[in-house]
Amino acid sequence: MNVEEQIKDILARITRVDKSIITRQSTFKEIKADSLDVVQALVAVEETFGIEIPDEDAQKFQNFGDFVSYVESRLPQKEKV
Amino acid sequence: MENKNTVQNGRVRVAVDAMGGDYAPEEIVKGAVLAAKKEDVEIFLVGPPKLLQQELAKCKVSNGSYVHIVEASEFIKENESPVDVIRRKPNCSVAVAAKMVKSGEADALYSAGSSGAVAISAIQFIGMLDGVYRPALVGSLGSFAPDTVMVDLGANVDCKPDQFLTFAIAGSVYAKRFLNIADPKIALLSTGSEETKGNQVVREAYSLLKSSGLNFVGNIEGGDILNGRANVIVCDGFVGNVVLKFYESIGGYAQVWTEQKLRKHPPLRALARLLFKSLFPATKISGETEKQSGGILWGVDGVVKIAHGASRARQIANGIESAKEAVKAGVVESMKSELARFNQGGKS
Repeated sequence: MNVEEQIKDILARITRVDKSIITRQSTFKEIKADSLDVVQALVAVEETFGIEIPDEDAQKFQNFGDFVSYVESRLPQKEKV
Repeated sequence: MENKNTVQNGRVRVAVDAMGGDYAPEEIVKGAVLAAKKEDVEIFLVGPPKLLQQELAKCKVSNGSYVHIVEASEFIKENESPVDVIRRKPNCSVAVAAKMVKSGEADALYSAGSSGAVAISAIQFIGMLDGVYRPALVGSLGSFAPDTVMVDLGANVDCKPDQFLTFAIAGSVYAKRFLNIADPKIALLSTGSEETKGNQVVREAYSLLKSSGLNFVGNIEGGDILNGRANVIVCDGFVGNVVLKFYESIGGYAQVWTEQKLRKHPPLRALARLLFKSLFPATKISGETEKQSGGILWGVDGVVKIAHGASRARQIANGIESAKEAVKAGVVESMKSELARFNQGGKS
Protein backbone atom coordinates (compact mmCIF):
# COMPACT_ATOMS: atom_id res chain seq x y z
CA MET A 1 0.00 0.00 0.00
CA ASN A 2 1.42 3.40 -0.90
CA VAL A 3 1.83 6.35 1.45
CA GLU A 4 -1.34 8.09 0.25
CA GLU A 5 -3.48 5.00 0.82
CA GLN A 6 -2.00 4.42 4.27
CA ILE A 7 -2.68 8.00 5.35
CA LYS A 8 -6.16 7.81 3.84
CA ASP A 9 -6.83 4.66 5.90
CA ILE A 10 -5.66 6.39 9.07
CA LEU A 11 -7.77 9.47 8.44
CA ALA A 12 -10.86 7.46 7.48
CA ARG A 13 -10.51 5.31 10.61
CA ILE A 14 -10.19 8.30 12.91
CA THR A 15 -12.88 10.49 11.35
CA ARG A 16 -15.08 7.53 10.42
CA VAL A 17 -15.77 8.87 6.96
CA ASP A 18 -15.92 6.69 3.87
CA LYS A 19 -12.39 6.47 2.53
CA SER A 20 -13.64 6.96 -1.03
CA ILE A 21 -14.66 10.57 -0.36
CA ILE A 22 -11.10 11.59 0.58
CA THR A 23 -9.24 13.11 -2.35
CA ARG A 24 -6.01 15.06 -2.53
CA GLN A 25 -8.12 18.22 -2.74
CA SER A 26 -10.21 17.42 0.35
CA THR A 27 -9.80 19.86 3.22
CA PHE A 28 -10.01 18.61 6.82
CA LYS A 29 -13.25 20.53 7.15
CA GLU A 30 -14.74 18.77 4.14
CA ILE A 31 -14.05 15.38 5.65
CA LYS A 32 -15.50 16.64 8.94
CA ALA A 33 -12.25 16.25 10.86
CA ASP A 34 -12.14 18.44 13.96
CA SER A 35 -8.95 19.54 15.73
CA LEU A 36 -8.78 16.36 17.81
CA ASP A 37 -9.21 14.17 14.73
CA VAL A 38 -6.36 16.03 13.04
CA VAL A 39 -4.05 15.69 16.03
CA GLN A 40 -4.87 11.99 16.37
CA ALA A 41 -4.16 11.54 12.66
CA LEU A 42 -0.81 13.35 13.00
CA VAL A 43 0.21 11.14 15.91
CA ALA A 44 -0.87 7.98 14.07
CA VAL A 45 1.02 9.02 10.93
CA GLU A 46 4.12 9.84 12.97
CA GLU A 47 3.99 6.39 14.58
CA THR A 48 3.28 4.59 11.31
CA PHE A 49 6.09 6.20 9.34
CA GLY A 50 8.54 6.86 12.17
CA ILE A 51 8.73 10.58 11.49
CA GLU A 52 8.04 13.72 13.50
CA ILE A 53 5.70 16.39 12.11
CA PRO A 54 6.25 19.70 13.93
CA ASP A 55 3.09 21.73 14.61
CA GLU A 56 4.38 24.62 12.53
CA ASP A 57 4.60 22.32 9.49
CA ALA A 58 1.23 20.67 10.16
CA GLN A 59 -0.47 24.07 10.35
CA LYS A 60 0.48 24.69 6.71
CA PHE A 61 -1.51 21.74 5.37
CA GLN A 62 -4.35 23.17 3.31
CA ASN A 63 -5.73 19.82 2.22
CA PHE A 64 -5.15 16.07 2.28
CA GLY A 65 -2.75 16.34 -0.68
CA ASP A 66 -0.48 18.70 1.27
CA PHE A 67 -0.42 16.21 4.15
CA VAL A 68 0.52 13.31 1.86
CA SER A 69 3.17 15.32 -0.02
CA TYR A 70 4.75 16.43 3.25
CA VAL A 71 4.96 12.87 4.59
CA GLU A 72 6.37 11.63 1.28
CA SER A 73 9.01 14.36 1.35
CA ARG A 74 10.12 13.24 4.80
CA LEU A 75 10.51 9.56 3.93
CA PRO A 76 13.58 7.87 2.49
CA GLN A 77 13.21 7.37 -1.30
CA LYS A 78 12.53 3.62 -1.17
CA GLU A 79 9.48 3.96 1.06
CA LYS A 80 7.58 6.36 -1.19
CA VAL A 81 6.04 3.64 -3.34
CA MET B 1 -1.52 -3.52 27.07
CA GLU B 2 -5.15 -4.31 27.63
CA ASN B 3 -7.36 -2.56 30.09
CA LYS B 4 -7.72 -5.28 32.70
CA ASN B 5 -10.07 -3.34 34.95
CA THR B 6 -9.31 -5.82 37.67
CA VAL B 7 -9.89 -4.86 41.26
CA GLN B 8 -6.82 -5.88 43.29
CA ASN B 9 -7.18 -7.33 46.79
CA GLY B 10 -10.75 -6.06 47.05
CA ARG B 11 -9.61 -2.45 46.63
CA VAL B 12 -10.53 -0.35 43.62
CA ARG B 13 -7.43 1.48 42.40
CA VAL B 14 -8.18 5.06 41.41
CA ALA B 15 -5.58 7.15 39.57
CA VAL B 16 -6.24 10.73 40.67
CA ASP B 17 -4.98 13.66 38.60
CA ALA B 18 -3.59 15.58 41.58
CA MET B 19 -2.81 18.66 39.49
CA GLY B 20 -6.26 19.12 37.90
CA GLY B 21 -8.75 21.55 39.41
CA ASP B 22 -9.06 25.11 40.70
CA TYR B 23 -7.75 24.10 44.12
CA ALA B 24 -5.14 21.56 43.06
CA PRO B 25 -3.14 20.02 44.48
CA GLU B 26 -4.15 20.93 48.06
CA GLU B 27 -7.88 20.08 47.95
CA ILE B 28 -7.32 17.11 45.65
CA VAL B 29 -4.83 15.55 48.06
CA LYS B 30 -7.10 16.26 51.04
CA GLY B 31 -10.03 14.69 49.20
CA ALA B 32 -7.98 11.67 48.21
CA VAL B 33 -6.89 11.16 51.82
CA LEU B 34 -10.53 11.37 52.92
CA ALA B 35 -11.56 8.85 50.26
CA ALA B 36 -8.75 6.47 51.22
CA LYS B 37 -10.22 6.09 54.69
CA LYS B 38 -12.65 3.62 53.13
CA GLU B 39 -11.44 0.05 53.14
CA ASP B 40 -12.13 -0.73 49.51
CA VAL B 41 -10.14 1.91 47.68
CA GLU B 42 -6.49 2.57 46.86
CA ILE B 43 -5.42 5.97 45.57
CA PHE B 44 -2.62 6.87 43.18
CA LEU B 45 -1.98 10.60 43.27
CA VAL B 46 -0.40 11.61 39.96
CA GLY B 47 1.75 14.75 39.87
CA PRO B 48 5.13 16.19 40.93
CA PRO B 49 6.30 13.94 43.81
CA LYS B 50 7.92 16.63 45.96
CA LEU B 51 4.84 18.83 45.89
CA LEU B 52 2.50 15.93 46.60
CA GLN B 53 4.65 14.70 49.47
CA GLN B 54 4.40 18.15 51.05
CA GLU B 55 0.62 18.10 50.70
CA LEU B 56 0.38 14.59 52.10
CA ALA B 57 2.54 15.65 55.05
CA LYS B 58 0.02 18.45 55.80
CA CYS B 59 -2.66 15.75 56.02
CA LYS B 60 -0.37 13.77 58.32
CA VAL B 61 -0.22 10.95 55.78
CA SER B 62 2.99 9.61 54.34
CA ASN B 63 3.33 8.16 50.88
CA GLY B 64 2.46 4.59 51.62
CA SER B 65 -0.35 2.34 52.76
CA TYR B 66 -3.26 3.08 50.42
CA VAL B 67 -2.25 6.50 49.15
CA HIS B 68 0.61 6.41 46.67
CA ILE B 69 2.38 9.02 44.57
CA VAL B 70 3.01 8.48 40.87
CA GLU B 71 5.39 10.88 39.17
CA ALA B 72 4.25 13.30 36.47
CA SER B 73 6.31 16.45 36.30
CA GLU B 74 4.00 18.33 33.93
CA PHE B 75 0.34 19.28 34.04
CA ILE B 76 -2.20 21.05 31.84
CA LYS B 77 -2.94 24.63 32.80
CA GLU B 78 -6.40 26.14 32.28
CA ASN B 79 -5.19 28.44 29.48
CA GLU B 80 -3.63 25.59 27.51
CA SER B 81 -5.36 23.79 24.67
CA PRO B 82 -6.66 20.37 25.72
CA VAL B 83 -5.15 18.96 22.54
CA ASP B 84 -1.71 19.79 23.99
CA VAL B 85 -2.09 16.65 26.11
CA ILE B 86 -1.37 14.57 23.04
CA ARG B 87 1.35 16.50 21.23
CA ARG B 88 3.12 18.70 23.77
CA LYS B 89 2.56 17.11 27.17
CA PRO B 90 1.95 13.37 26.77
CA ASN B 91 3.43 12.82 30.24
CA CYS B 92 1.32 15.37 32.08
CA SER B 93 -0.58 14.26 35.19
CA VAL B 94 -3.91 13.49 33.52
CA ALA B 95 -2.23 11.62 30.66
CA VAL B 96 -0.16 9.51 33.08
CA ALA B 97 -3.32 8.71 35.06
CA ALA B 98 -5.08 7.65 31.83
CA LYS B 99 -2.15 5.46 30.84
CA MET B 100 -2.40 3.73 34.24
CA VAL B 101 -5.99 2.75 33.43
CA LYS B 102 -4.96 1.49 30.01
CA SER B 103 -2.11 -0.61 31.41
CA GLY B 104 -4.27 -2.08 34.17
CA GLU B 105 -2.33 -0.36 36.97
CA ALA B 106 -5.51 1.53 37.91
CA ASP B 107 -9.21 0.70 37.62
CA ALA B 108 -10.43 4.27 37.21
CA LEU B 109 -9.25 7.79 36.40
CA TYR B 110 -10.53 10.76 38.36
CA SER B 111 -9.79 14.40 37.52
CA ALA B 112 -11.11 17.85 38.33
CA GLY B 113 -8.93 19.35 35.62
CA SER B 114 -9.89 20.71 32.20
CA SER B 115 -12.78 18.56 30.94
CA GLY B 116 -11.40 18.71 27.42
CA ALA B 117 -7.98 17.53 28.54
CA VAL B 118 -9.50 14.66 30.52
CA ALA B 119 -11.68 13.61 27.57
CA ILE B 120 -8.75 13.79 25.15
CA SER B 121 -6.53 11.79 27.50
CA ALA B 122 -9.26 9.19 27.76
CA ILE B 123 -9.72 9.00 23.99
CA GLN B 124 -6.02 8.92 23.15
CA PHE B 125 -4.50 6.93 25.99
CA ILE B 126 -7.31 4.62 27.13
CA GLY B 127 -9.30 4.35 23.91
CA MET B 128 -12.96 4.19 23.01
CA LEU B 129 -15.17 1.11 23.02
CA ASP B 130 -15.83 -0.46 19.62
CA GLY B 131 -18.30 1.63 17.65
CA VAL B 132 -18.04 4.73 19.86
CA TYR B 133 -16.53 7.86 18.33
CA ARG B 134 -16.35 10.18 21.33
CA PRO B 135 -17.29 9.95 25.03
CA ALA B 136 -20.54 11.40 26.36
CA LEU B 137 -21.79 12.74 29.68
CA VAL B 138 -25.03 11.25 31.01
CA GLY B 139 -27.07 12.66 33.90
CA SER B 140 -30.32 11.90 35.69
CA LEU B 141 -32.90 14.69 35.93
CA GLY B 142 -33.50 13.96 39.61
CA SER B 143 -36.73 14.53 41.51
CA PHE B 144 -38.77 16.35 38.83
CA ALA B 145 -38.24 13.49 36.40
CA PRO B 146 -36.78 10.61 38.40
CA ASP B 147 -37.03 8.15 35.52
CA THR B 148 -35.33 10.33 32.92
CA VAL B 149 -31.72 10.85 31.92
CA MET B 150 -30.19 13.23 29.39
CA VAL B 151 -27.18 12.62 27.19
CA ASP B 152 -24.94 14.36 26.08
CA LEU B 153 -24.56 17.01 28.78
CA GLY B 154 -21.61 18.80 27.25
CA ALA B 155 -18.80 16.52 26.14
CA ASN B 156 -19.59 16.95 22.41
CA VAL B 157 -20.58 20.41 21.28
CA ASP B 158 -20.56 19.51 17.57
CA CYS B 159 -21.89 16.07 16.78
CA LYS B 160 -22.12 13.75 13.83
CA PRO B 161 -25.53 12.04 13.44
CA ASP B 162 -24.27 8.57 14.35
CA GLN B 163 -22.99 9.83 17.70
CA PHE B 164 -26.62 10.12 18.77
CA LEU B 165 -26.86 6.32 18.49
CA THR B 166 -24.07 5.78 21.00
CA PHE B 167 -25.56 8.51 23.22
CA ALA B 168 -28.83 6.54 23.16
CA ILE B 169 -27.03 3.32 24.09
CA ALA B 170 -25.08 5.02 26.91
CA GLY B 171 -28.30 6.56 28.24
CA SER B 172 -30.03 3.19 28.09
CA VAL B 173 -27.24 1.51 30.04
CA TYR B 174 -27.40 4.28 32.64
CA ALA B 175 -31.20 3.99 32.94
CA LYS B 176 -30.99 0.23 33.31
CA ARG B 177 -28.06 0.17 35.76
CA PHE B 178 -28.87 3.17 37.94
CA LEU B 179 -32.64 3.73 37.53
CA ASN B 180 -33.66 0.06 37.18
CA ILE B 181 -35.71 0.68 34.03
CA ALA B 182 -35.88 -2.57 32.06
CA ASP B 183 -36.54 -1.18 28.57
CA PRO B 184 -35.89 2.58 28.55
CA LYS B 185 -37.82 4.73 26.08
CA ILE B 186 -35.43 6.82 23.99
CA ALA B 187 -36.37 10.19 22.47
CA LEU B 188 -34.55 12.80 20.45
CA LEU B 189 -34.78 16.39 21.68
CA SER B 190 -35.91 18.60 18.82
CA THR B 191 -38.03 21.58 17.89
CA GLY B 192 -41.12 19.51 17.12
CA SER B 193 -42.44 15.99 17.31
CA GLU B 194 -42.49 15.44 13.54
CA GLU B 195 -39.63 13.58 11.88
CA THR B 196 -38.89 16.58 9.70
CA LYS B 197 -38.27 18.96 12.63
CA GLY B 198 -34.83 20.03 13.80
CA ASN B 199 -31.55 20.89 12.13
CA GLN B 200 -29.88 18.63 9.58
CA VAL B 201 -27.88 16.64 12.14
CA VAL B 202 -30.98 16.02 14.27
CA ARG B 203 -33.03 14.95 11.23
CA GLU B 204 -30.31 12.50 10.17
CA ALA B 205 -30.03 11.24 13.74
CA TYR B 206 -33.81 10.66 13.73
CA SER B 207 -33.52 8.37 10.71
CA LEU B 208 -30.66 6.43 12.30
CA LEU B 209 -32.47 6.02 15.63
CA LYS B 210 -35.72 5.02 13.90
CA SER B 211 -34.03 2.16 12.08
CA SER B 212 -31.72 1.21 14.96
CA GLY B 213 -33.87 -1.38 16.71
CA LEU B 214 -33.56 0.65 19.91
CA ASN B 215 -36.74 1.54 21.83
CA PHE B 216 -36.98 4.90 20.03
CA VAL B 217 -40.23 6.81 20.63
CA GLY B 218 -39.51 9.75 18.32
CA ASN B 219 -38.86 13.43 18.90
CA ILE B 220 -39.79 15.33 22.00
CA GLU B 221 -39.76 19.10 22.55
CA GLY B 222 -38.36 21.12 25.44
CA GLY B 223 -41.76 21.06 27.14
CA ASP B 224 -41.63 17.24 27.30
CA ILE B 225 -38.29 16.98 29.09
CA LEU B 226 -39.81 16.59 32.54
CA ASN B 227 -43.09 14.84 31.69
CA GLY B 228 -41.73 11.31 31.58
CA ARG B 229 -42.47 10.64 27.90
CA ALA B 230 -38.89 9.48 27.57
CA ASN B 231 -36.45 7.76 29.90
CA VAL B 232 -33.47 8.71 27.76
CA ILE B 233 -33.38 12.12 26.10
CA VAL B 234 -30.73 12.37 23.43
CA CYS B 235 -29.24 15.66 22.25
CA ASP B 236 -25.88 17.11 21.31
CA GLY B 237 -23.61 18.41 24.06
CA PHE B 238 -24.29 22.03 23.19
CA VAL B 239 -28.04 21.72 23.75
CA GLY B 240 -27.57 19.35 26.69
CA ASN B 241 -25.22 21.67 28.50
CA VAL B 242 -27.51 24.67 28.02
CA VAL B 243 -30.50 22.69 29.32
CA LEU B 244 -28.43 21.36 32.26
CA LYS B 245 -27.33 24.78 33.44
CA PHE B 246 -30.74 26.34 32.92
CA TYR B 247 -32.38 23.49 34.84
CA GLU B 248 -29.91 23.77 37.70
CA SER B 249 -30.55 27.51 37.94
CA ILE B 250 -34.34 27.26 38.24
CA GLY B 251 -34.43 26.64 42.00
CA GLY B 252 -32.38 29.67 42.92
CA TYR B 253 -34.28 32.02 40.63
CA ALA B 254 -37.66 30.68 41.69
CA GLN B 255 -36.71 31.28 45.35
CA VAL B 256 -35.58 34.87 44.74
CA TRP B 257 -38.71 35.60 42.69
CA THR B 258 -41.05 34.06 45.30
CA GLU B 259 -39.39 35.85 48.21
CA GLN B 260 -39.67 39.18 46.38
CA LYS B 261 -43.37 38.58 45.74
CA LEU B 262 -43.90 37.77 49.43
CA ARG B 263 -41.76 40.59 50.86
CA LYS B 264 -44.78 42.24 52.45
CA HIS B 265 -45.82 38.98 54.13
CA PRO B 266 -42.89 37.95 56.38
CA PRO B 267 -44.45 34.72 57.74
CA LEU B 268 -45.24 33.46 54.23
CA ARG B 269 -41.82 34.56 53.06
CA ALA B 270 -40.15 32.57 55.84
CA LEU B 271 -42.27 29.56 54.99
CA ALA B 272 -41.35 29.85 51.31
CA ARG B 273 -37.66 30.05 52.21
CA LEU B 274 -38.01 26.89 54.28
CA LEU B 275 -39.80 25.07 51.48
CA PHE B 276 -37.23 26.06 48.89
CA LYS B 277 -34.39 25.05 51.15
CA SER B 278 -35.80 21.56 51.56
CA LEU B 279 -37.21 21.08 48.05
CA PHE B 280 -35.01 22.71 45.46
CA PRO B 281 -31.84 20.66 45.59
CA ALA B 282 -34.17 18.59 43.40
CA THR B 283 -33.23 20.65 40.36
CA LYS B 284 -29.62 19.51 40.41
CA ILE B 285 -28.93 17.12 37.57
CA SER B 286 -26.87 14.33 39.05
CA GLY B 287 -24.20 11.90 37.97
CA GLU B 288 -25.65 9.03 39.93
CA THR B 289 -26.84 10.73 43.11
CA GLU B 290 -27.04 14.32 44.24
CA LYS B 291 -23.99 14.13 46.48
CA GLN B 292 -21.62 13.31 43.67
CA SER B 293 -19.76 15.88 41.66
CA GLY B 294 -19.14 15.67 37.93
CA GLY B 295 -19.88 12.72 35.72
CA ILE B 296 -18.60 9.58 34.06
CA LEU B 297 -17.32 9.73 30.49
CA TRP B 298 -19.44 7.05 28.84
CA GLY B 299 -18.03 5.13 25.89
CA VAL B 300 -14.42 5.06 27.08
CA ASP B 301 -12.83 1.62 27.55
CA GLY B 302 -12.31 2.29 31.24
CA VAL B 303 -13.95 4.23 34.06
CA VAL B 304 -13.16 7.95 33.73
CA LYS B 305 -14.81 10.42 36.06
CA ILE B 306 -14.67 14.18 35.54
CA ALA B 307 -15.25 16.47 38.52
CA HIS B 308 -16.22 20.12 38.58
CA GLY B 309 -13.09 22.27 38.51
CA ALA B 310 -14.13 24.09 41.68
CA SER B 311 -14.47 20.88 43.70
CA ARG B 312 -13.23 20.98 47.29
CA ALA B 313 -11.94 18.06 49.33
CA ARG B 314 -15.37 16.68 50.30
CA GLN B 315 -16.57 16.67 46.68
CA ILE B 316 -13.31 15.12 45.55
CA ALA B 317 -13.73 12.35 48.10
CA ASN B 318 -17.34 11.80 46.94
CA GLY B 319 -16.21 11.75 43.32
CA ILE B 320 -13.52 9.16 44.01
CA GLU B 321 -16.15 7.14 45.85
CA SER B 322 -18.50 7.26 42.85
CA ALA B 323 -15.67 6.32 40.46
CA LYS B 324 -15.09 3.33 42.70
CA GLU B 325 -18.81 2.45 42.63
CA ALA B 326 -18.82 2.69 38.83
CA VAL B 327 -15.98 0.18 38.68
CA LYS B 328 -17.82 -2.13 41.06
CA ALA B 329 -21.07 -1.76 39.10
CA GLY B 330 -19.27 -2.78 35.93
CA VAL B 331 -20.52 0.16 33.87
CA VAL B 332 -17.88 -0.33 31.18
CA GLU B 333 -18.71 -4.00 30.81
CA SER B 334 -22.44 -3.16 30.63
CA MET B 335 -21.78 -0.59 27.91
CA LYS B 336 -19.62 -3.09 26.02
CA SER B 337 -22.29 -5.74 26.07
CA GLU B 338 -25.03 -3.29 25.00
CA LEU B 339 -22.84 -2.12 22.12
CA ALA B 340 -22.10 -5.70 21.12
CA ARG B 341 -25.80 -6.56 21.11
CA PHE B 342 -26.53 -3.45 19.09
CA ASN B 343 -23.74 -4.11 16.59
CA GLN B 344 -25.05 -7.64 16.10
CA GLY B 345 -28.49 -6.24 15.28
CA GLY B 346 -30.09 -7.15 18.61
CA LYS B 347 -32.25 -4.82 20.56
CA SER B 348 -30.33 -2.88 23.21
